[in-house]
Amino acid sequence: MGVVAPASIPRVDPGNRRPWYLPSHVVLQTGGGLGMVAGGAGFTLKDRLELDVLVGYVPEKYAGSALSLASAKLLYSPWTLPIKDKWSVKPLTVGGYISYTHGTINDEKPNQYPKGYYWFSTDTRIGPVLGSRLSYALPPTASGYARNLSAYYELSTNDLYAISYVQNRKSLSPADILVLSLGLKLDI
Amino acid sequence: MRSFLQNLPVRALLPAAAAFLFSSCDLLEFSPNDHRAPESERDLTEKNLTRLLQNPLPAGDTLRFVFTGDSQRFYDDAEDLVKSVNQQPGIQFMLVAGDISDFGFAREMRWVNDDLRKLKVPYLTVVGNHDLVGNGRKAYEAIFGPRNYSFVYGDTKFIFTDTNGREYNFDRTAPDMTWVNQELADRTARRHVIISHVPPQDEDFDPALRDEYAGALREDPRLLFELNGHRHAFGISQPFEDGVTYINSSSFESRQYVILTVWGDKEFRLKQVTF
Repeated sequence: MGVVAPASIPRVDPGNRRPWYLPSHVVLQTGGGLGMVAGGAGFTLKDRLELDVLVGYVPEKYAGSALSLASAKLLYSPWTLPIKDKWSVKPLTVGGYISYTHGTINDEKPNQYPKGYYWFSTDTRIGPVLGSRLSYALPPTASGYARNLSAYYELSTNDLYAISYVQNRKSLSPADILVLSLGLKLDI
Repeated sequence: MRSFLQNLPVRALLPAAAAFLFSSCDLLEFSPNDHRAPESERDLTEKNLTRLLQNPLPAGDTLRFVFTGDSQRFYDDAEDLVKSVNQQPGIQFMLVAGDISDFGFAREMRWVNDDLRKLKVPYLTVVGNHDLVGNGRKAYEAIFGPRNYSFVYGDTKFIFTDTNGREYNFDRTAPDMTWVNQELADRTARRHVIISHVPPQDEDFDPALRDEYAGALREDPRLLFELNGHRHAFGISQPFEDGVTYINSSSFESRQYVILTVWGDKEFRLKQVTF
C-alpha cells in the first residue's frame, strides 16, 4: 500500500482567475436608484476591480410609470480581511455608476424643447458609490474558482442630488442626498 | 425565562433601530423618480388647505397673502424666505407659482417642504414646467396633489391651473380650458384669482390655447388678477391691453416676494419685500 490518492474535490487555486470578459459573479440588489429589483452579472477586471452590469425594474405604483433601468457600476475594493472560518469582509468598496432609465412619462420628443432648454439629462444619471461587503466561502466551483456568497450595502448619490447639496450646504445635509442599496453577489 | 425584550439595553436600542430601519426604507430609493414618501409628506395641498380653512376669513374681511414662485434648487434661499415671511403680520397664507422642484423629483419637493413647513401660515402651490420633467407629473400629484384645483377663502375663489403647455408638447391639453371655463363661470364667490406657472404671453404656453385662455380671463367680470411665475422676476402689467392684470412672481433666489392685500370688489395693494 503506498500513496493515498488525493480526494477528488476541487481545490481553490488563489491565482486562478478567469479572463476578465467572462462573468465571475451574479448580482441581485434593491434600491440605489437602480431599481426596486436589479439583477445582472459582474466581471472581475483586475484583482480588486469589478464591473457589475445590472438591469432593474420599478413598478408604476412607485414611480408613476413602469421603469426599466440599465446600469453599470465600477467598484474597487482594496482590502479583503478574513474574520474567521469561512467569513471575510471587504470593509471598503468605492466606485461609481452610470444608469439609464427607460419608460419615463415625459421623455423629450423631437422638437419639444428649444436646444439646451433643460441643461440636465432626464434619463441618464451618474454618481459615486461607497460600501462594504460580507462574504461567506462556499465550496469552490468544479473548475477550481473560489466561490463566495456576499451581502453588501452601498451608499450612493446622483449628479442632480449632489449639485443640489453642493449649492445648498446650509439647508441640505449629506444625509439628505444619500441613497442606499442592499444586495447579494454570488461567484460563479 | 427572561424575555429578550426585557433586557434594558436592548429595549433602549429598539427605538433607535426602528428609526434606522424607517430611514433606511426612505433611503432605499428605487429610482430618482421613486415618489414614495411618508404619509406626512404626501397630499400636501390637501393638508395645507385643511389648515387654512381652520381659520376661515369672514365675508368682507381683508385678504392678505404672500406671493412667490420658482423655489427650484434654492433651498438656502428658502430658509431665509421662511424667516422673513414669518415676520409679516396679518398674512393668511403663501402662494408658490410653480417650479417647486428643478428636476421633477419627489425628493426635491420634500426638501422644499422641509423648509416651507416651518412657515407659520399654510402654503399652496401650482405645478410648474420643472415639476413635469420626467415623471414629475406623478411626483407632484403624490407629494402635493391635483394639477388643477380651486378653493374659496373668504370672498375669493383661487383657481390653480397647469399652463405648462410645452411639457405636453403643445397637445392642447394644458391649460384644460373646459375646466378653466367651468371654474371661472362659478358665481358663488365675489372675486376670482387665477394662478398658473407659465404666463399666456410666454413662448412655453400652448400657442393654440393662448387666445382662448386670455379671452376667458377677459370675459370674467369677477377676475381680480392672474398670477404667474416662470420668469424669475417680479412684474405687473396688462400684456394683452385688455384690462386684465398679470402679476409675475420673483423666484426664491432673487430674494424678493410680494404681499398682496385685497379688499372691496377689486381693490388691491401690492408690497414688495426683499430679504
